[in-house]
Amino acid sequence: MQYPPNLRVVRVMCSGMVSPDLILRVLSKGADGVLVVGCHLGECHYLEGNLMAAKRVAMLKKLLAFSGIDPGRLRVDWLSSAEAPTFVRVATEFIEEIRALGPSPLRVKA
Amino acid sequence: MDDKIKMKVQELLQSGKIKGFLGLRERHGQVGPYLFTDGDDLEGLVVGDRFKPGDSRYPLNKQLMKITRGDPSGCYGVLVRGCDERGLKTLFGSGQIKSEQVVPVGIACPQDLADACECLKPYPDERVAGEAAEPRSFATVAKVEAMELDERFRLWLAEFSKCIKCYGCRNICPMCYCSECTLENKDFGDIGSLPAENPVFHLTRAIHMAGRCIDCGLCNEVCPADIPLRTLYKKIADIVEEEFHCRPGYGSPETPPGLNIRGEELKH
Ligand code: SF4
Ligand code: SF4
Repeated sequence: MQYPPNLRVVRVMCSGMVSPDLILRVLSKGADGVLVVGCHLGECHYLEGNLMAAKRVAMLKKLLAFSGIDPGRLRVDWLSSAEAPTFVRVATEFIEEIRALGPSPLRVKA
Repeated sequence: MDDKIKMKVQELLQSGKIKGFLGLRERHGQVGPYLFTDGDDLEGLVVGDRFKPGDSRYPLNKQLMKITRGDPSGCYGVLVRGCDERGLKTLFGSGQIKSEQVVPVGIACPQDLADACECLKPYPDERVAGEAAEPRSFATVAKVEAMELDERFRLWLAEFSKCIKCYGCRNICPMCYCSECTLENKDFGDIGSLPAENPVFHLTRAIHMAGRCIDCGLCNEVCPADIPLRTLYKKIADIVEEEFHCRPGYGSPETPPGLNIRGEELKH
């Protein structure tokens, strides 16, 4: 089982650690999209990390849209470590969505 | 307006209720912040309407934070407009200033200022002077929202590209009180180099104003590049309201936004 090679995995302790700053930084450095994957809602080891992630992503998507960046470049999904096939499906799907959107305007702006 | 405020301040100072009144003073044609401590010396006290209403405002709450921290048992008066009061409530809620250390002295803004600010509440709850003007909605935000995505992107990039990274927007902001600023953290952006990393430099500041920005507009006024920052932060406040059902400074001071996330229905 393989996930698409154009996906760069960054491991963190909890999706609650993924601050909007990091997502913005990654977009600024040329990523065409960011997929945030956390544990299923209600199953956070730190109780509310994924709830925070959900709110942050929701807010950031709206800010991106307001500033003219397609909010579809950011996606959040909930998966457990036992769901490798689902991860592969979600990742593949996301890559397809991003492909349809084309290169990020942050990358081609110059 | 000035006279009513002067009388109120004199009364507060003479009764010993406050140790000082943080307001504005005009001297040699300049308006700046000043801590009045003597009820007989209120000469020069102004509310910041120099040539037109509200043209010489100042983030007084930012100074108040320092004053009350330096004197944790003292009680101080402060001049507040609608936005300043929202700021105070938010600072109380986030533990930056203790409410028992503050006596706000409120003034309502005239209609033309409320119009120019697109202010949702151009008056404080309690006011000593001025008549409550009509609230206005965010027309500048609606204008951006009427555009297509690529048009918005071009607009903001053109605006942001004027930024000289002076940090004036952050420095003047009465709600920016972190001791370490992400905008000066090398893990998040390149420090000391121009142009700013656009649009991310500004989007980072915008997302950090979530739950904080009380729409005073000082950032927009101070920006030497005239970037419509206020429009961006007005939008962030709208987003916070949609996601957290509250807008900083408009509700009760006890519940700062962002804390009630457990047990909520989440959509994404
Ligand atoms: S005040 Fe204006 S020029 Fe200065 S850093 Fe802020 S946006 Fe840039
Ligand atoms: S309008 Fe600008 S200066 Fe005022 S609170 Fe919001 S971000 Fe800060």
